Amino acid sequence: MNDMTQSNVDVGAAKVKMQAEGVQVYYGTTHALKDVSVNILDKVATAFIGPSGCGKSTFLRCLNRMNDTVASARVEGKITLEGQDIYDPKVDSVQLRAVVGMVFQKPNPFPKSIYDNVAYGPRIHGRTSSKAELDEIVETSLRKAALWNEAKDRLSAPGTGLSGGQQQRLCIARAIATNPQVLLMDEPCSALDPIATAQVEELIDELRHQFSVVIVTHSMQQAARVSQKTAFFHLGNLVEYGDTDQIFTNPRDPRTESYISGRIG
Amino acid sequence: MTDISAQPMPSQSAAASIMVGSKGMKKRHAAEARFKAYGVVAIVFSLGVLAFMLFTIFSDGISAFRQAQLTFPVTIDAAVVDPTGTRDRDTMAKVTTFSYAKVLNNSIVAALLAKGIPQEKVSDKELGEMVSKSAPAQVRNMVLADPSLVGETVTISVFANGRIDGYFKGRVTRDTASRDSNVSPAQLDLADTLRDAGILSLGWNSRFLTNSDSSDLRPETAGLGVAILGSLYLMFLVLVICVPIGVAASIYLEEFAPKNRWTDIIEVNISNLAAVPSIVFGILGLALFINFAGLPQSSAMVGALVISLMTLPTIIIASRSSIRAVPPSIRDAALGVGASKMQTVFHHVLPLAAPGILTGTILGLASALGETAPLLLIGMVAFVDNYPGAPIAGFFDPATALPVQVYSWASRSDPAFLERSSGAIIVLLVFLVIMNVTAIILRRKFERRW
Amino acid sequence: MVPVRLFVTDPNLSSQALHMTVLLLVAIVVAIAVAAFLVGRQRALTMASGNVRQLHSLPNYYGWHAALMASIPALILLVGWLVVQPFVLESRTLAFLPEAVTSDPVARKLTMADVRRVAGGLDVAVRAGALTEQQASMIRTELTDVRSRLASVGVALGSAVSSETLRAAQFYRAAALSGSTLRNVLTLIVAVGGLGYAFWATKPAFRARNRVEAFVKGLLIASASIAILTTVGIVWSMVAESLNFFWQYPAADFFFGLTWNPQFRGGSELGFLPLLWGTLYISFVSMIVAVPLGLFTAIYLAEYASPKVRAWVKPLIEVIAGIPTVVFGLFALVTVGPMLRDYFAQPLGLGNSGSSVMTAGLVIGILNIPFISSLADDIINAVPQAMRDGSYGLGATKSETVKQVILPAALPGIMGAVILAASRAIGETMIVTMGAGAAAKLSLNPFEAMTTMTVKIVGQLTGDTDFAAPETLVAFALGITLFVITLGLNVLALIIVRKYREQYE
Repeated sequence: MNDMTQSNVDVGAAKVKMQAEGVQVYYGTTHALKDVSVNILDKVATAFIGPSGCGKSTFLRCLNRMNDTVASARVEGKITLEGQDIYDPKVDSVQLRAVVGMVFQKPNPFPKSIYDNVAYGPRIHGRTSSKAELDEIVETSLRKAALWNEAKDRLSAPGTGLSGGQQQRLCIARAIATNPQVLLMDEPCSALDPIATAQVEELIDELRHQFSVVIVTHSMQQAARVSQKTAFFHLGNLVEYGDTDQIFTNPRDPRTESYISGRIG
Repeated sequence: MTDISAQPMPSQSAAASIMVGSKGMKKRHAAEARFKAYGVVAIVFSLGVLAFMLFTIFSDGISAFRQAQLTFPVTIDAAVVDPTGTRDRDTMAKVTTFSYAKVLNNSIVAALLAKGIPQEKVSDKELGEMVSKSAPAQVRNMVLADPSLVGETVTISVFANGRIDGYFKGRVTRDTASRDSNVSPAQLDLADTLRDAGILSLGWNSRFLTNSDSSDLRPETAGLGVAILGSLYLMFLVLVICVPIGVAASIYLEEFAPKNRWTDIIEVNISNLAAVPSIVFGILGLALFINFAGLPQSSAMVGALVISLMTLPTIIIASRSSIRAVPPSIRDAALGVGASKMQTVFHHVLPLAAPGILTGTILGLASALGETAPLLLIGMVAFVDNYPGAPIAGFFDPATALPVQVYSWASRSDPAFLERSSGAIIVLLVFLVIMNVTAIILRRKFERRW
Repeated sequence: MVPVRLFVTDPNLSSQALHMTVLLLVAIVVAIAVAAFLVGRQRALTMASGNVRQLHSLPNYYGWHAALMASIPALILLVGWLVVQPFVLESRTLAFLPEAVTSDPVARKLTMADVRRVAGGLDVAVRAGALTEQQASMIRTELTDVRSRLASVGVALGSAVSSETLRAAQFYRAAALSGSTLRNVLTLIVAVGGLGYAFWATKPAFRARNRVEAFVKGLLIASASIAILTTVGIVWSMVAESLNFFWQYPAADFFFGLTWNPQFRGGSELGFLPLLWGTLYISFVSMIVAVPLGLFTAIYLAEYASPKVRAWVKPLIEVIAGIPTVVFGLFALVTVGPMLRDYFAQPLGLGNSGSSVMTAGLVIGILNIPFISSLADDIINAVPQAMRDGSYGLGATKSETVKQVILPAALPGIMGAVILAASRAIGETMIVTMGAGAAAKLSLNPFEAMTTMTVKIVGQLTGDTDFAAPETLVAFALGITLFVITLGLNVLALIIVRKYREQYE
């Protein structure tokens, strides 16, 4: 079943943050993801690429158990975070999502102020004991998301009033505010214009110095620009996983080569 | 451009922090469970009240279908009912029910004697009062229909008095009887004896569905006949009035209406009329159809006109959505072969939308069937003890309707009428269930063909 | 002159006869239309010498055209005549009545009713053979006791008939008869004339289909406009009588009066505030019940319930909405009222009444649960899934997501639903009629019987009503006030809901 061509996994001395082994996902009777095994490294940006419907987003949603909210979804196999199985009944999916944060395809700010959007995570997780502390987290997160300069004068304005690119950076700031160790990004730039995309890409490159970033993208150029590791998915299979340079210059699997050269997809 | 500072919080082990029971999570999960429980409680409470209401109504009302009846041989005394001895119907019709009451009274006394039942505590008059006040008329009608019965002894079944009936249904006790001028505890004792002797029994009462309403003094004979017929007339007329107008209005609004002020006004009116209190339609009916147009009060026709105006928005809304559900490709196909817009609509769109319109209409009629308030104002709450005539003239006769009958019985003082009120609700609900189930079956059967 | 008072229970004897001749006339017109259909169709075929292709439209359209020409103008004439004739008759009949009667609108109304009654009575008497046609138009009160003559054929009049009234009635009767005859003749002439026109107009090049379709379109527009006519009718029927009321009773006393105490013999106090208070108090109690229950039901069904549970529970909740309100009324009267009295009001020393604000409010609240829950369910489902994902992705629990993201996002829509439910509670009639009581009171005790605007509308307009007395007319003033309140709330709710929809479109 596992027809993956595994290349050298290690990038320098990075340690393994998350590990997936033989993951299968079913939506009702549809077998959406077939026997995927992959290691997500700490402080490395990993890109999932592949044609639409290949299972890359499905797999991403397994990593913080977002699939739990889909009634028909069933996940098999083992995914660990620092050696702890995240599907273990003793694991609290709510807490998991605070550690493994997520940014979505379309910017989805809450219909609240910019400040309340960023403060949402720390508040629900009870991370702060004072207003000053919360202010500090909001400011830090907005700074890290490169939105502080644009938003500092209108923190009480609604988040929905920002431009598309700003909204997406707000969503990233919101995710950062819970202090995650892994940040999952599901095609974060697909709804953005090229300038906003460039800003978010730059941001991803900064963020991966602090924690693992996993980004699903339909753009091979984007994967090449922002990631160090790349996984290629096709029809629910993980076809090839390796260093980004290697995948793009010297793919081992003929399907990867076909996709990269534009013959499938 | 990015300001990367040290993490504000001490980084703890990820593996440890995601475990159940880590600090703060207990409270959050408790809040979660509590919130979910509120939802369950709300649903359980709502459905519980619904079940409780239906249960009380069924347990109160089911007994209306059973009635205490006395069965005994009645000797039709020729000397009383036909004093002239001619057996002529017109002469015999001069004998009033008062005389027949004597016949019945004598017969029941005789029946007790024959069975050897002692009745020393109950006078003959009191014994006679245990029989419904409707019984003499019943016997009189029987005799007038068949004069050959005069002089014969026939075994007949008559209703027992409402209080005796109430005793067997637990409504009347010896305690209440001792304070009641209409019944005495001794009569109740005798009722028990009669029951044991097989003279008195609690049996299926089909006359509850066929009799007309009756006065306060004889709840035992009150029936739903006029109300059921009135409701059927109402539903028929509402159907005849509402469906053509509702469908025509929907076709216009969906297929022809230009985007202009007039169309906007129509749209706003329809959505507002759907939310106007029903009592306001009653006032409209009273002022417009009765006081202004001079249509007869209490008639099914006026009721139907009022209810039609109320139901129209519902039917228009349902019809429009099923017309809208017909895909434009079908219209394009018909127009493409040279059909006129009107032909397209009537030959293609309307037949495809018909099942949806029908379903919406049945549901609209079901809610119209339960309407009460507007009918009160146009006089349908008046006491009507005659059946309305046959259509079409009968549509202008005084009538009543099921929900109105529920209300008028509920406002009577004798608790025997409460049982009948609940019984009327059972009949009303049976009609509603049938209509709704029909609509559901139709909807399943014709669900989206494209 | 003392107007003749009539027994309210007397059926309108002559109106039924009128309906029957009109129905017969309509039936004849319809028969002419059917004939016209056949004639028109045949005419078209003959003109085209049997070759359908020479015709502009299909033969049936020529038939329809002829049928419409034969029936529609005739029916319009008939309806117009029926509407206009009574006014013409009345104005001409008034000439027979003394000045004192015609100048006072109330006396005029009553006297005209008497005239119609006597005229109807004479009709009946003639039909019953108690009077000859000759006698009916000739008898005089000076010579005959008209009242007893009419009573002998079953027409009851409350008091003796004055000579003016009788004279007017005789004129009325004669005029009505000749008017009706003229109407019948004219209607039939127009019907046949229409047929003739259609016959003449039918030629192969005649665009029958376009004519018929234009007519059908007119019919469609007319049907759609009935909604407007209904609104106009509602407003007209209440405004006219309300003005009549305010003419007899000062508006300020009505709107700001603190006492509701109608009297049969005049001197009534018809203060609106106790009714408004009862209405609002009961609606408030009902909202306290319906809003949390409906909202939590909607939240559970939208966010927590599995599809299977939802498929069962949602229709069951909606069963509540399908039950007629009179059933809830009986439930309030027989079950809820006595229970609240025995377990709450009496032990707490708050009263001995089964009918109370609490009883009616509680039951209306239950009735409104499905209303709020299904509207709120739609609104919650309209909140984009991305909002939920965003919140779950940050590690929020479901309840945190609902409370902090979904409800704030759905708030305008839910406000709209709540306002609509309040409007329904204010306009609810049967439950308050059976469960709230009839005493108009300004009290804070929720276990006390109070009354509402709708209860009083029913109370003042059922049973013996005298449409000249302020005690009856006040119902129309209450009706229009109720209409304005509920209309205002509905419009407000629609605006809020529309704004909310736009937000996510």
